[in-house]
Amino acid sequence: MSSTLQSILVYTFIWGSIYLLISLGFSLICGVLRIFHLGYGVIFVIAAYGTWMFMEDVGLGFIPSVLLMLLVQIGIAVVVFYRGVFQRYLEEEEILLTLSVLISIALMHLANYLYPVTAGVSIPSTIIDAMLKIGAVRISYQMLLAAFVGIVVTFVFVLMFLKTRIGLIVRAISQNLEAATLMGANVTKMYYLAIILSVIPPTICMLMIAPFWGVDPFMGSPLLMTAMLIAILGGLGNLKGSIVASYMIGFIHATVSFLYVSRFMGLAALIITLIVLMIKRGGLFAGETLW
Amino acid sequence: MKRNLFLIGISFICLAMIGEVGIAQAQSTEPIKIGFMGNLSAPSSISAKAAAMMAVDEMNQAGGILGRQIKLIVEDTKGEIPKCVEIYKKLVMVDRVLAVFIGEKVEMGVAGMEIGAELYPEYPHIFFSTIGSGDDIWHHVRDNYKKYKFGFQTYYFISTNYLKILSELNSEVFKKLIKAKKVAIVYEDMEWTKPLRKGLKDVSPRLAEVYKKNGLEVVYETTVSLDQKMFSSVFEEIAASGAGVVDCTVGYIDEAAFIKQWSQSSARNIPVSLWGGLAGMPPAWKMTEGKVVGVMIGSSMVKVPITKKTIPFMDNLMAKYKVGPIFGSHTTYDSLYGFKKAIEKAGGIGNIEALIKQLEQVEEVAVLGTIGWEPRYHYNLPYPKYITPIVQWQKGEMKVIFPLQFKQADYIPPDDLRR
Repeated sequence: MSSTLQSILVYTFIWGSIYLLISLGFSLICGVLRIFHLGYGVIFVIAAYGTWMFMEDVGLGFIPSVLLMLLVQIGIAVVVFYRGVFQRYLEEEEILLTLSVLISIALMHLANYLYPVTAGVSIPSTIIDAMLKIGAVRISYQMLLAAFVGIVVTFVFVLMFLKTRIGLIVRAISQNLEAATLMGANVTKMYYLAIILSVIPPTICMLMIAPFWGVDPFMGSPLLMTAMLIAILGGLGNLKGSIVASYMIGFIHATVSFLYVSRFMGLAALIITLIVLMIKRGGLFAGETLW
Repeated sequence: MKRNLFLIGISFICLAMIGEVGIAQAQSTEPIKIGFMGNLSAPSSISAKAAAMMAVDEMNQAGGILGRQIKLIVEDTKGEIPKCVEIYKKLVMVDRVLAVFIGEKVEMGVAGMEIGAELYPEYPHIFFSTIGSGDDIWHHVRDNYKKYKFGFQTYYFISTNYLKILSELNSEVFKKLIKAKKVAIVYEDMEWTKPLRKGLKDVSPRLAEVYKKNGLEVVYETTVSLDQKMFSSVFEEIAASGAGVVDCTVGYIDEAAFIKQWSQSSARNIPVSLWGGLAGMPPAWKMTEGKVVGVMIGSSMVKVPITKKTIPFMDNLMAKYKVGPIFGSHTTYDSLYGFKKAIEKAGGIGNIEALIKQLEQVEEVAVLGTIGWEPRYHYNLPYPKYITPIVQWQKGEMKVIFPLQFKQADYIPPDDLRR
């Protein structure tokens, strides 16, 4: 097998798994609450800058900082986004979308104000600073680790939705809200749960990709775009679709990068998504259900 | 009666003349107004603003310019072109400033220069662009001197000089310091790299050709986009190309991601040289968790006494204005001092045309060498007059490795530094 083909296969797996981690929370919100969470990108910013704040300003260690940041993250998701926006404006989509974006932009600017680029924000989450050789391809352990974590987190989420009672209720809500309510499902409780669960993959993602990703206050926007692209391609809110779409985008990126030129990988993914949507309206999988 | 009227008339004229003199004197002691505008949320503009304030404070403490104090009016463009135009008009027409300094990206400088050209006949003033990179500002002057002669550019990024000066210096660094024979070139997809990618008609061939002429073999060329986050494929291809050095004509890409991925790629032992950007700032070490070790970059933020002004500028900016020097702060500070000297040589601010002529001839000791502007094109005098040292990240610090007269350390290969 040629080295280019090996590179494409390896990086499809690596990038696809990372994209999965980026998009999982967004797809979950789409699937359960049936909304486009345009403030999703700020979760990555809070993960990075929250951890940094607790480490640098409060002087805590890495693990306590991450745990406290996660509490802040959940607090913002529940109080600001869910109670402040989603719950109030669930029926008024334009207000909900606008407010989500505005809150997200405000938080990014706050991060920029508190820790401008000169502050040198970073997350010391490098575990193995070395390279692994797979066939003719050399890959950093850190990327590989991020990819495996992506798969594990997705597996846990899928398992939860397929094998637990809570997962069953969440799926029922995602398929038919009225029927689920009539069957006695506590929708509000499940919404809270979905909101809390949705911050976990992007938070873990940020910690995993920080060793090879740039950290800046406005990094949330491109990450939101990636999550949206995958969710749309896969079928809004369908986790099965998100998994397939993540690896498909990973494959497009790897193919364009190794066969042509890396700067067109984003454009190529957009064009192919457009073509898919023209052929299969609604994306690869039906968006009416979470799985 | 006629005689009385004549006397009254003469007295009135005399009184009026005395009054005129009084007004003229009052005007000549009024502060000279200078406007500064930039995106005051961006670190480069914040630093440039502090540098402008420092220069003005120093000048005022030393007696001002020809005995007149200087008043700096600072405005925030918020990075928006319509706002930039609106502020420019306000500074020139309402505040009646003598000069407008734009410490922001080149798009803002161009917008300011266009509105400035419209205002100039009625409101003569001077314009300086002290951060904007590229050739747009000085090309305006070159192509229509009469209309844009009031505009001056102080920034390192002038593609013509890159092709004619910096590429020659780079060739020297690559061959003599790094001992490389093969070069991989990474361009960022921006307007300022276009002459490097494609050459400048009647001026210079493209960068790869310049390197080839200097005895270096270019084995790989690629362009990366500003929104790109994944560079693994680029580094794997560079490693496969057999390059001895990676020359990155970049300044605006996600350099933290670029460097982190280089340090974890097959190309990690191939030295990387960046033309500018975030990696040339002290926080780069923290931002990359030290993965920037071994990276070379053109940086004016290293403490090396290029002139007697360099170290005091860096220390005072930090101590008194609580801002670190970033790209654009040196150029803003130096431009103000060049401007001061030109006013003094012109004997005042009454004749803007004379002031422009003086700006075209002036040379003044600056933080980074000598400040002055090329008489026909109005970009600041390049290397060796104005110097951006090439530094290498070694053990948490940037060390100057070139030019040799300012050398603080020898070049060390990245793999040796990691050990």
